[in-house]
Amino acid sequence: MSTTRTRRKNGQQRVAFHERLEKSDLIEIYRRLWFARLFDEALYDAKKKGRLRRGNVYGSRGQEAIMVGTTYPLRPDDFVSPIHRDMPVFVFRGMTVEQVMCQVWGKAEAPTRGKDSWSHMGDMNLGIVHSTSMLGSTIAVACGVLWAQRLDGRRDRVLVAYTGEGATATGPFHEGLNFAAVHKLPLIVVVENNQYAYSTPVELEVPTKTVAERALGYGIPGYSIDGNDFNAVYDTMCEALDHARAGNGPVLIECVTYRLQGHADHDETRARTYRPVEEIELWEKRDPIVRYRQYLLSTGLFTEAELPESPRDIKEQIERAIAYAISSPDPEPHTALEDIYDESAGVSL
Amino acid sequence: MREVTFLEAIRLALWEEMERDPNVFLIGEDIGRMGGAFGVTEGFYERFGPDRVVDSPISETAIIAVCVGAAAAGKRGVAEMQFIDFISYGFDQVVNVAGTYLYRSGGKTPIPIVVRGPSGGYVGGSLYHSQQFEAWFFHTPGVKVVQPAFPDDAYGLMKASIRDNNPVVFYEHKYLYRRIKGPIPEAHEDYIVKLGSARIRRYGDDITVVTYGAMVHFALEAAQRLEKEGISLEVIDLRTIKPLDMKTILESVRKTSKVLIVYEAPKTGGVGAEISARITEQAFEWLDAPIMRVAAKDAFVPFAEPLEKFVLPSVDDIVFAARELAAY
Repeated sequence: MSTTRTRRKNGQQRVAFHERLEKSDLIEIYRRLWFARLFDEALYDAKKKGRLRRGNVYGSRGQEAIMVGTTYPLRPDDFVSPIHRDMPVFVFRGMTVEQVMCQVWGKAEAPTRGKDSWSHMGDMNLGIVHSTSMLGSTIAVACGVLWAQRLDGRRDRVLVAYTGEGATATGPFHEGLNFAAVHKLPLIVVVENNQYAYSTPVELEVPTKTVAERALGYGIPGYSIDGNDFNAVYDTMCEALDHARAGNGPVLIECVTYRLQGHADHDETRARTYRPVEEIELWEKRDPIVRYRQYLLSTGLFTEAELPESPRDIKEQIERAIAYAISSPDPEPHTALEDIYDESAGVSL
Repeated sequence: MREVTFLEAIRLALWEEMERDPNVFLIGEDIGRMGGAFGVTEGFYERFGPDRVVDSPISETAIIAVCVGAAAAGKRGVAEMQFIDFISYGFDQVVNVAGTYLYRSGGKTPIPIVVRGPSGGYVGGSLYHSQQFEAWFFHTPGVKVVQPAFPDDAYGLMKASIRDNNPVVFYEHKYLYRRIKGPIPEAHEDYIVKLGSARIRRYGDDITVVTYGAMVHFALEAAQRLEKEGISLEVIDLRTIKPLDMKTILESVRKTSKVLIVYEAPKTGGVGAEISARITEQAFEWLDAPIMRVAAKDAFVPFAEPLEKFVLPSVDDIVFAARELAAY
């Protein structure tokens, strides 16, 4: 699949940043892709078997290259704001797998203390900005986090805000991106265009051929790339980071991918009716992990044995975290009334 | 003491907080180069520069969201809604993003923001420049709601709101901006009015009037008129609508045994309903009469003078209701 850039300068070739990666990076990337895949499989399995009895599991199968490719080139002091199909990003940016699992199981030691579910968590010390169910809102809030950096003279810290193609139809997405563009904030918006917003196909969300074309309205670079090709995501991200860090303002990256699962685990049956079977089969063949493994083998740096499928130690790491979460204590009921207000400033009666 | 207008009191509070704390910044439409539609931020841009006095595009969502995101990263943003009516555009930011943030961060990320702007009617502002939507946010957990009536309170409450660690929606009645003058403390006194404290603006024996905003002035005028008839009103200025100072209200109710709640918003589902319910729950045996409400009619605030006058509460309305209560 080809990668296109809406506002490419004449004849300028994309730098192949991925060719500069060390062998150790390649292995780490490969393992992260598997972590994302196995994380998703483990939670679908836990839900199916009744080990996870509450809340939805939002699948990310097939979107692994986006999560790994957009986070791998970040600096430790950059920010991310992940959404519901980016759960592994929390781990890539410093949360423990145990913390993430406690969040999924609604446990007392979850980042939200059991108050909110799934991906609605963050940790400002790790540069992970909390998102809500209203995905477009995150783009607008991201502008504020970046404004704080501007006030602190830290204009080089980038924020990567994830969103879906459906959320690009919302007002806050527009207001946020418009604001960021007007004030040249180092915001990178990664649109995971997985073709469906719940059941609504992308052509009923976006009138243009690509989501990237929306960037034209903000006078910023817009990329439409193959989201299942790690190297394409990585290279684009590196280019976008250079652009944003240099003070040139925001970048929109549309990662074209496909939602292989239902909207969430509860939707698996109906999702077979609103998506054509041929379409699903086509995208199953575009598996980003298979493709990356083929790429790694083609470099001649690896043997087949060095690139195991479903690495067992990763599976075990995830399983240990699930077992930890299940045995971890539930929140005390009365804590439901805690953290509604913060009175530590002492200016209220 | 400095004798200033209601507007100037707010301006000075903002200015002094900007001088005191470099984390405080302002954002809104036309607030920088122009100094704000009502001139509340005149001179700020020149003193504090474009990064701390941010001229925003017409984007109420983004204006509030920038404050929220910056607050998560340790700043204290003050968002100006050019008219508080426009907060409807930013409703999700206040209710679902700012209001919930501390809760969903496990208590780790407070959101100290102030969303302020001119509210209220009596100036021919018509449908979208006259509203009092405080009940929306009164109903919202995680958010505080403030509406002063006098310059000293506006000054002290604005400072407290900026220093508070929670989202505060701050209503500034535009009818009071230049009409009301009064003394405020000097800057070095670091005067603060704690949020959640009501103030009795006039002591009386027969009827407790619970009110806030411009209606405080209407109630005080009504009290003066009724004094000649031998009816004595106690006027409580809530100052902070949320959290509600029930202690001051209940103490007064136990003294007078009659209650009139006055507010400018549409009557149905307004703040008065909650106050009434709480008095009934907590002081029923002290009441000698039904709790009465004077509020706007359940309509929009229309443009033409006879229409606006018909919809919004008046001093006469308060006088008539108080007479009725006194005779009960």
